[in-house]
Amino acid sequence: MAVPARVRLPLLRPLIEQLATIIFGLVVGALLMLPFGFSPLRAYRSLLAGAFGTIPDLLETLAFATPLMLTALPFSVGVRGGLFNIGAEGQMYLGAIGATMVAGLLPLPAGVHLAAATAAAMLFGAAWALVPALLKIWRGVHEVISTIMFNWMAFWLSTYLAVNFLGEPGRAERTVPALLTARYPVFTEDSTLTAAIFVAVALCVVVYFYLWGTRAGYEIRLAGENPEAARYAGVHAGKAILITFLIGGMAAGLAGASQIIGRPPAWSLYATLGNVVTLGFDGIGVALVGRNHPVGGVLAAILFGALAHGGRLMEYEAGVLSEMVRAINGLIVITLAAPEIWKLVRRRSAR
Amino acid sequence: MRDIHKVYADGTVALRGVDLHLSRGEVVGLLGENGAGKTTLMKILSGLLRPTRGEILVEGRPVDFRNPGDALRVGIGMVHQAFTLVPPYTGLENIILGQEAARALLPPRTGAARERVEALMAETGLAVPLDDPAESMPIGVQQRVEILKTLYRGTSVLILDEPTSALTPVEVDDLFRFLGGLRATGKSVVFITHKLKEVLEISDRIVVLRGGRVTGEVTADRATPERLAEMMVGRKVVPRVSRAPHAAGRPVLVVRNLGVAGDRGAPAVRDLSFDVRAGEVFGIAGVEGNGQSELVQALTGLRRPDGGEIVLEGARIARLNPLALYRRGLGHIPEDKARFGLALTFDVAENSILSRQAEPRFLTGLGRLDWRRIVTYARELVEGFKVVTPGLRATVRSLSGGNQQRLLVGRELSKSPVLIVAMHPTRGLDIASTVYIRELLIGIRDEGAAVLLVSADLDEIIELSDRIAVMYEGRFIGAGQAEEFSREEIGLLMGGITADGGARTSAPTSAPAAD
Amino acid sequence: MTPTLRHLLAYLLGAGLIAGFVYALSVLGLNPISLLEAGLLAMTPLALAAVGECLNEKAGVVNIGLEGILLITAVVGVWMAELPGFGGGMGILGGAVAGGLLGFGLGAISVYGKADQIIAGIGLNVFALGFVPFLFISLWATPGIRVFPAELMVPRILTPFGQFSPITLLAIVLAVLAHLLLHRTVLGFRIQAVGEKPEAADVAGVRVDRLRLLTSTLGGALCGAGGAFLPLGWFGGVVKEISAGRGFIALACVVFAGLEPLLALGAAFLFGFADGLASAVAVTPGVKERVPFYFVNMLPYATTLVVVALVIGRRRFPSTVGRPYARE
Repeated sequence: MAVPARVRLPLLRPLIEQLATIIFGLVVGALLMLPFGFSPLRAYRSLLAGAFGTIPDLLETLAFATPLMLTALPFSVGVRGGLFNIGAEGQMYLGAIGATMVAGLLPLPAGVHLAAATAAAMLFGAAWALVPALLKIWRGVHEVISTIMFNWMAFWLSTYLAVNFLGEPGRAERTVPALLTARYPVFTEDSTLTAAIFVAVALCVVVYFYLWGTRAGYEIRLAGENPEAARYAGVHAGKAILITFLIGGMAAGLAGASQIIGRPPAWSLYATLGNVVTLGFDGIGVALVGRNHPVGGVLAAILFGALAHGGRLMEYEAGVLSEMVRAINGLIVITLAAPEIWKLVRRRSAR
Repeated sequence: MRDIHKVYADGTVALRGVDLHLSRGEVVGLLGENGAGKTTLMKILSGLLRPTRGEILVEGRPVDFRNPGDALRVGIGMVHQAFTLVPPYTGLENIILGQEAARALLPPRTGAARERVEALMAETGLAVPLDDPAESMPIGVQQRVEILKTLYRGTSVLILDEPTSALTPVEVDDLFRFLGGLRATGKSVVFITHKLKEVLEISDRIVVLRGGRVTGEVTADRATPERLAEMMVGRKVVPRVSRAPHAAGRPVLVVRNLGVAGDRGAPAVRDLSFDVRAGEVFGIAGVEGNGQSELVQALTGLRRPDGGEIVLEGARIARLNPLALYRRGLGHIPEDKARFGLALTFDVAENSILSRQAEPRFLTGLGRLDWRRIVTYARELVEGFKVVTPGLRATVRSLSGGNQQRLLVGRELSKSPVLIVAMHPTRGLDIASTVYIRELLIGIRDEGAAVLLVSADLDEIIELSDRIAVMYEGRFIGAGQAEEFSREEIGLLMGGITADGGARTSAPTSAPAAD
Repeated sequence: MTPTLRHLLAYLLGAGLIAGFVYALSVLGLNPISLLEAGLLAMTPLALAAVGECLNEKAGVVNIGLEGILLITAVVGVWMAELPGFGGGMGILGGAVAGGLLGFGLGAISVYGKADQIIAGIGLNVFALGFVPFLFISLWATPGIRVFPAELMVPRILTPFGQFSPITLLAIVLAVLAHLLLHRTVLGFRIQAVGEKPEAADVAGVRVDRLRLLTSTLGGALCGAGGAFLPLGWFGGVVKEISAGRGFIALACVVFAGLEPLLALGAAFLFGFADGLASAVAVTPGVKERVPFYFVNMLPYATTLVVVALVIGRRRFPSTVGRPYARE
């Protein structure tokens, strides 16, 4: 397959800009910590140490990165296709349910079982993305509203299914664990990283080749960049919207699976959905830092995975709640939303 | 205005040290081709933009305009090329916006305002329906509202940016008469245009810009079209494209009783019938807004017709989608390249296959794009059609308008179409690209293709067409061989005025196509 | 079908559904009065946020971050109410001030930073998701729930028809005021011009940026009042998920109402009723065992979806909204 160096990885200047945004987010986060008596320096030192200090830490960072690179895809592929799919949360919950069902309740022979559970997750996730897509195509319903509504409905539906149908007998707080034949192989004993990361990265790469190397992907990007030129080029708008949503749903579903059949020690879904919740929204920041590019998203996911894992040590040592990392994530998104900030900065430094 | 420089944020230099002065009761024509900097200069004068360097003096005092309101307070107002009216607001509401004569939390004083506006209308002779929404008004009337809006604020300097582009020749005369009246009352006018004839007609003094600099300044009585053209373009005469007579062949496109609805449901094209034959250029003249866009969209698969039929090379195509049409030999140069024909943030190579991405030539198995072949093809396009670009991976947005259009036209022509539909192909382009693209269209006609040209630029129609029709309110009110029409006749037809005796009809000039 | 007719049908449909529900549930044992009370309580934060956002969107700015503002101002409101000598009313005021600041910030980024407003709003929501738990620990050293003494709540007004919060009345009054502002004043005249075609207003001398900043701040303040109302006027405590998607439901109200404040009030009542129904069912003995908890909780979201899908159809965010206005 001839794909010339059409790789859109960030070149030097965009890379610096993204890094600067992250530093800006950290600085504002520090400012927010100070009034409450926390020491940002201690916090950030623990953050770094927690993320990269030892090999198990590094592996753990990658384990956190795995779902994030996937939940970035609904948003980033959506933007490429000209829409705002922020339904990764709900699509992920359903993916987790799908994986739990097949992995925990459906005994299958060794290789097949894992593949089936993974496929089920992707299928469920895509199915949950289907209705908002159709609503947009047929009724013009804006996807920001519909996907959020679906996120909340998925939360209640998934909790209901997890508690009433998939619960592990005797342990009310989580579902049946994945059977041994449906677990991704673990790397080492002292981290939660599994081979699921390979599948995640593979999906990102496949999406990249799809968007830039196939006719359908070209048409999707064209529809997002200039819908009228897309019509001129004979692109079917509805088909583009549908595929965009389905790709996102599949990826989010896989993210859900990665937390069930790809994450020890629980190998199951918490009844509160605690091991999947908010990963979808975090994915938006990952997508933006990765410049809405599937491969950029992988790199950004590693960064955010580092923040997430390091955040736990930060909480333990410096007392700053690990959720602050999410707050910093949000600040980064806000900053990245404003391109003029960069123009202002550039102009000032050029003088 | 003294030593005005303007550099945009992305680095484009628009103005390089321009001096301009304006006296009371004077009409100054600001002449230049597209991209010379005329609009930028006037946007600075009217307060919409700020100069990177230089100063503006009003009555000898330096001023600093931070927004249009500041300029309006001093008496300078601008009527822009793209209208700045709020579509659902009425004529009166648009005129008084920003001048409501009441404090923020109180109701606007429309009663008193109406009286003032009516007085103004009587004084200037410009009549507009005050209670109709702006979006329902024809373009000529909207322009009058814009002018009233500026005059309502007591402007003494009126700037008009390309005011005649959407007017019929009759409306242009009315406008010029009005401007003469303004001059008589001591007001000043700056008239931006690229049309030599008009600027000679209306101006007292003409200032010519090229490449952001003043290349000449001359009083109207001492100016000649050749001198102006030289100052404008650097050549003595604006080159015209030569068109040798060419025998037309069989009908390639046959349209019968075509009806197309506009966006609001009202018919935009009514019962239209015509042919376009191989080896000829069929030019449709007319002021924008008379159904041309809808007609072209119906012919190119972007809008479904309500009735009638369209036959291309013997096959009915009325409801086919664009890709099917391209496969049957259609090439489409859309009316707005950036809006319809190109993806600005994509690079040159990706744009070269826009609308050709489904062709097997550019694909390998499983729907994958064959980038090696695409790159080769893009390189051929760039070289063959003289597209100036830093490389195939440059984003198309970074190309100049002329080069963007060359890329687009080249792409369409390289499809070896049997029919080219070209709408406003050279609008907004620099002279060199304009001439080149017109030559390309004649070239493909000489090779036997059928060309349907739709343009509001009368010169273009006359220069290029073998046969001409004038479109007005969805119908042809005049059609025939190009030689049969005088320029004035076409001008009148564009305004809806048919010659008495009704010698001109909209009947097609060839037999209906057999099916 | 004209838009007005459509709206009328929607309201009739909604009213009919509500009446049907009320009857069905009264059969099951729910008291219609308490349903009305719950519905009005649920309407209040939605209405406040929606009316504010109507003004904002009329000027061409969209604030997707309403959800985040609700969360943050709920916490701020409670903190303020707990300060010695302050109480519920001051808490609501504090929420409004905090909301106004957040709205101002978002507005500044959108207008002067030329931000993509939708992304900036999403960023605010994500930020709030992280910052609010942090506030819980830092302010109160609890992981996710804070209950305050009942006397700090905004006192209810007792009528023969049930008890109502004065803030509900405030919301209705504000909706009326917003309507008058938009349609009867110079400010509203300019706001609508700015939203429809900012170039026209700019050229006419209207300060587009300042006006948008103003509507953004006002919208944020109203939303902030709604956010503080959630704990102080309704729930009696604050949890970190207290907003539960209400910010987005408010956005749906705005779109549904075609940006008209009075219609948004009606829409807020419709959605609020579904919302209040869910809460009422969850606490009413005799009913909560019979109706599955999970499905009732889905009700507000499903209702929003159905109404948006059926009635609004092609209506969406107006095209000028969300895109920054730049002169060059």
